[in-house]
Amino acid sequence: MSSLSTQVLVIGGGATGLGIAWDAALRGLKVVLIEQSDIGQGTSGRHHGLLHSGGRYALSDPVSARDCASENRILREIAAHTIEDTGGLFVATPADPVDYPDRWLSACSHLNIPTEEISLSAMLEREPLLNPRISRSFLVQDASIDSFDLAHVLVSGIEEHGGVVLLRHQLESLIIDQDRLVEAKIRNRLNGKSLSLSANLFINAAGPWAKTITTMAGVELPLALGKGTLVAMSRRLVNTVVNRCKPPSDGDIIVPVGTVAILGTTDIPVKEPTSLDVEPWEVDLLLAEGDLLLPGLRDSRPLRTWAGIRPLYRPAENGNTQTRALLRSHVILDHEESDGLQCFISVIGGKLTTFRLMAEETVDLICDKLEIDQKCSTASTPLPNESGHFYSLTSRLEKLERQPLHASTDQIVCECELVTRGDIEFALDKSVTGTELDDLRRDLRMGMGPCQAGFCAYRTYAISSEHSSSPPSLNGLHNFLYERWKGIRPVAWGSTLQQMEFSRRIYLDLLAAGPESEIRS
Amino acid sequence: MTHIIIIGGGLTGLYASIIAVDRAAKVTTVFQGRGGLSLSHGCIDVLDRSAPSRSLARLSDHHPYKLSGIANLKDALSKFRELMLHAGYPFTGKLSKSISILTALGSIKRTSFAPSGIARGDLNSCEPIVLGHFSGFRDFYPKMIQKRALKSGVKIAKVIDLPLLEPPVLRAAYSTDYALRFEDSGWREEIIRMWRPLLPGVKRLGLPAVLGIQNHCEILEELEDSLGVDIFEIPSLPPSVPGLRIERILLRQAQTLGVNIIEGVGVIGRIDGRSRGKRVAGVVLHSTGRTIQLDADAVLLATGGFLNGGLVAQQDHRIRESVFDLPVLHPTNRSDWVGLSLFHRQEYASTGVFVNSRMQPLGLDEKPMFKNLYAAGGLLAGSDRSIEGSRQGIDLATAYCAVNEALR
Repeated sequence: MSSLSTQVLVIGGGATGLGIAWDAALRGLKVVLIEQSDIGQGTSGRHHGLLHSGGRYALSDPVSARDCASENRILREIAAHTIEDTGGLFVATPADPVDYPDRWLSACSHLNIPTEEISLSAMLEREPLLNPRISRSFLVQDASIDSFDLAHVLVSGIEEHGGVVLLRHQLESLIIDQDRLVEAKIRNRLNGKSLSLSANLFINAAGPWAKTITTMAGVELPLALGKGTLVAMSRRLVNTVVNRCKPPSDGDIIVPVGTVAILGTTDIPVKEPTSLDVEPWEVDLLLAEGDLLLPGLRDSRPLRTWAGIRPLYRPAENGNTQTRALLRSHVILDHEESDGLQCFISVIGGKLTTFRLMAEETVDLICDKLEIDQKCSTASTPLPNESGHFYSLTSRLEKLERQPLHASTDQIVCECELVTRGDIEFALDKSVTGTELDDLRRDLRMGMGPCQAGFCAYRTYAISSEHSSSPPSLNGLHNFLYERWKGIRPVAWGSTLQQMEFSRRIYLDLLAAGPESEIRS
Repeated sequence: MTHIIIIGGGLTGLYASIIAVDRAAKVTTVFQGRGGLSLSHGCIDVLDRSAPSRSLARLSDHHPYKLSGIANLKDALSKFRELMLHAGYPFTGKLSKSISILTALGSIKRTSFAPSGIARGDLNSCEPIVLGHFSGFRDFYPKMIQKRALKSGVKIAKVIDLPLLEPPVLRAAYSTDYALRFEDSGWREEIIRMWRPLLPGVKRLGLPAVLGIQNHCEILEELEDSLGVDIFEIPSLPPSVPGLRIERILLRQAQTLGVNIIEGVGVIGRIDGRSRGKRVAGVVLHSTGRTIQLDADAVLLATGGFLNGGLVAQQDHRIRESVFDLPVLHPTNRSDWVGLSLFHRQEYASTGVFVNSRMQPLGLDEKPMFKNLYAAGGLLAGSDRSIEGSRQGIDLATAYCAVNEALR
């Protein structure tokens, strides 16, 4: 077993953990981050990609709302290349409470959240598909943020400042020595090797898995899990984030992301971080609610669905079983104060929009404990910018059209998302061994378009097999197709079912890619 | 002269049209889009067993093969092979022993009948295999096939880079773009010159199935003769060149024999006759801006399954037959339609229209809905064809049976 020591060990590679590691690395701390699978695999990569203006929580959760509004301004400065400035609208449909918009407006102005009421004709000019029976409409500073890009630049930032990010490393156990957390036993999931890591401070940023971590340390965590289901429509439909102007509820938002529009979301209390199954009624509900914003939406094609788990703080005195009613603000728990266990801090709750603020507060506490006098500088330090600009809907097309076609590397592997062979080979070259098709998907959006990997799963599997020296197993292809299938099952009707049938023709009839085909002869 | 209207332009509809016109019927074939042949592998899957003939008898009573009868399957297959042979595109195979072919993934696929160019790759033959690599073709990866095949115990001697003169320079070049190059005899002369020195000692050469569409057999023969090797094709991703060859032959043959083909037109309903709704008097077609009424003595539905639009699954938990709204039995909750993985048996895949042994769609009372309405191919219930490996066999057997019954 190899061993390592560091000042700060961060558990969890979502926005929260990465933000903390980035902040700590910037302040010159020695930091190691471990993630059980890939970055942004949990809640951070399973939401609608909204950069909140704060408007959504202006009445229900003013603390979150104010944090969102200020962080929104900061992120636009430091991570501009991960944000598409779509702007946002809050609109009152005939189904929404008539008195809400005025109460909401005054709350926004009280919290310094910029709003601007626009005429219905101006609204329809901007978004022609919106319901013409909408009575009032307000512009806010919502935007769409690419959480995978954000996670990537955070990793680059951490590594540039000497931090270490260990992917596919799972925490096995925590060692306590006299009320003090001293060591973590970690397993590398790729090669099965064990690693022992001692640290001065352990930060639990495992999101919905946070309770698994505290259980290892023998302490309680008041964590409630709320499942949120999202539906991606096959087309972008709107260019502006559209919110219902009413109290937060199921199906109150449409976010344009890349080539699709995402409908969000439900909020269902669940027990396990793995409770990610999507029920047909959730899809029906989101489509029906979305239809109030965009009439006819109900009959357009859903592309796929997924669910994310909100990790929410529920102190013992709060008996509310509905996760929707719990506050969205974040909590930093020093287990020394709550449980008498030293060197252990859990960070729970919060939103992607406020990840930087959570990190700042957490690292302030870390510095306090380590008696280091270093001020936070993340609010004024731009994140690394590898690609140079935001990936927009048309940027890949533009790039392809500008470049002359040279070689086979310029050939398109994924037609839906315009991913070339060169893109895939580049990603394979720079990645560590054990890259899975799903990792390439998160990097390149490969397989995320309307055909849901019918063609590109095969091509990408073939390219990565030719790339690797070991004889390729079909598992990678199976896992990838399984994940894609899982997301379209809840919307398996109409042209989506047609597409699924087409994929079966390719992978069963044509390629005999089934699990048993390897033993046949 | 019996007038039969056939709805559908896939393997089932086109094949049925030829069978019907062969029996001296007046045939009108109507279709809206393209059938499934261009998305297939171009082989005839009858049953994914090493000896299909032994397993056919053990199928359930509601299976399309059981309904149409094994005799009809056999007749349909020999008639199909006769047709293809006549058009210069012979098929090889027998029901008592399947052909094992390499897929473009390097897996092994069993099929019953394959065009001889594909069947020459049969793994039951011991002749060593060499694969050809067309640099830049994004739908064929022989090095991957070589590695994967080895895991199934199939040794591929080597992979040779075969240069192409002026290969299709496109960001998205398909198999059909390559197939068009092969149609050019001057171009072929050039590549034969380039390939000849690269192939000493090679006996059996596997290439992606792109060796021409229209003149495939001459092209294959020319390449084999001038290069001195046996060549076999491996079907690649759609559009399927072998499928397009079959589609082209069937369409041409139907036209030559005098089938009246109406393309690009949707059928929107049936005309009920005067016999208390027990007969279909004809169909109503919808074309640009108007509807047309066509009278018929018999109607054959060959509109396909979910992929081709014969069956439509709806958000409201219903599955509909798209033209006549015939009854379809299916699980009442849509979450039960689809299994956990693409590779599992799917409930939706075996739902469809129920027919009797005369291929007449049945009502909920299990009696024929109409005396002169027939259904065949992908829209029939009773089989998950992808799991069974029975798609084209069912298409041919039920089409053959339905035409026989309609013209009896």
